[in-house]
Amino acid sequence: MPLIINDVYPKKLFREDGKRLDGRENNEIRPIKMKVGVISNADGSAYLEWGNNKIYAAVYGPREVHPHHLAKPDKGILRVFYRMATFSVFERKRPAPGRREKEISMIITDCLEPVLFLELYPGTAFEVFIEVMDADGGTRCASTTVAALALADAGVPMRSLVSAVAVGKIDGQLITDLSGIEDKAGEADLPCAITWFNEELSLLQFDGDMDLDELNESLANAKTALNEILQIQLKALKSKYTTILEEQEGGES
Amino acid sequence: MENEELESEELDEFESEETDREIVVPGEVLTEDVEHFIPGRGTLLNKNKTKIIALNIGLKQIKKNYINVIPLRGFYTPKPGDKVIALVIDKNPVKYKCDINAKDLAVLKPRNAIKRGRIKSFRGGSQGSSNMESEEFEVGDILIAKIISADRLNMPELTIVGKYLGKRVNGIVITIDPPKIPRVIGRNGSMIKLLKNLTKCNIFVTQNGRIWIKGENIAYERLLFDAIKKIENEAHTVGLTDRMSHYIESEKQKRGIK
Repeated sequence: MPLIINDVYPKKLFREDGKRLDGRENNEIRPIKMKVGVISNADGSAYLEWGNNKIYAAVYGPREVHPHHLAKPDKGILRVFYRMATFSVFERKRPAPGRREKEISMIITDCLEPVLFLELYPGTAFEVFIEVMDADGGTRCASTTVAALALADAGVPMRSLVSAVAVGKIDGQLITDLSGIEDKAGEADLPCAITWFNEELSLLQFDGDMDLDELNESLANAKTALNEILQIQLKALKSKYTTILEEQEGGES
Repeated sequence: MENEELESEELDEFESEETDREIVVPGEVLTEDVEHFIPGRGTLLNKNKTKIIALNIGLKQIKKNYINVIPLRGFYTPKPGDKVIALVIDKNPVKYKCDINAKDLAVLKPRNAIKRGRIKSFRGGSQGSSNMESEEFEVGDILIAKIISADRLNMPELTIVGKYLGKRVNGIVITIDPPKIPRVIGRNGSMIKLLKNLTKCNIFVTQNGRIWIKGENIAYERLLFDAIKKIENEAHTVGLTDRMSHYIESEKQKRGIK
């Protein structure tokens, strides 16, 4: 059941039994389901369900750049197109890309660029199309996660995968993986992404107020959550091939 | 058609004994023993030189002291000497432009499209191009060509002078994932021989992921098409050649082909 939000937020973001509104513990992430190879026309694709978020990503490339003036003679470029469907939010979203879409496309590009070997493909572009079908908080993190998965599925050489999660603070308590309502009514929101080859932060945005100790603790919470997400990503990538292997072995024995 | 000039190196990949069928993903640590192992194809030594990581989704392979990753997905990168199936998409008086399933279009110049048997002896004959006629193609023609030059920056150049090369006027061209081409050929061409014998089709497999097939009738071609798709799907499994012969025999009975 989707939540109907009429700009009136509940006063307390915790239930009486101490759990969050959707029944999670403070450091519990929402249930995540991932699948690769869902779009047959794309070179690589992935689908993600993260709580109520439903996101598709498709990768094409390396291919010619249009418009041509964007091409760089010494290296390839990565272009990310983050779009939200008109029906993905409670009030109809205008289909034209606005400020928010352009910003998120840009931060995902910057986040994914360090893991690719763009200098090997001069004059070309890798294009990642992200389509948000259903949005409920944390779509920029979910989009980054699913874009990395689609790139890996396309066979693009990568240094490592990228995972992202949002941490934050509601009603004075630090929590992991904010849902839509916690994002809007909470005190602080801190989306972060990690590139696993050097374990460095590739995306860090901040909104709200929080002191330094809380920030450090939040980042530590994020690390454990990111590890969990990485395991789901690895499993999703491998399952495309291991299911065929298991079928074969099952048939033979 | 034959595929006699098989690149032995490419073919070993999938069939090699040392290939333990372990699927690795980008960023996965292959080994931390950097003294005994050297990073090979599809791998990278990290900056601190403490571990070797995989760059592609693929199968881990240890060959002597090299660690390789054989990709399961990927795109075709032109290399000089490769045979490719090209589609003419543009023509002008000085060159044809061809789609070869790579990031760049390939160029075919008329001097590389001389008609067979028309080159007069050089002694006595004039050195000019007066007695050389080049073949003419239309947009939409299918060519089997060889790459004579390719690098990172320039458009690859093609030639159609050579054995088995030239325009194809019949048959079907199908496309599969380029990294799975070695599997369709098999070790020493075993898979391709099997397919030819069982389906009575002519097959020409090229490095850019395109396969030209021509059979006695459409039923055989359909069977071969399904068989190749099955190979593409199960490229990472063991004992594929035996399974394919069973598959084709059973499908023949199901479809009522002799």
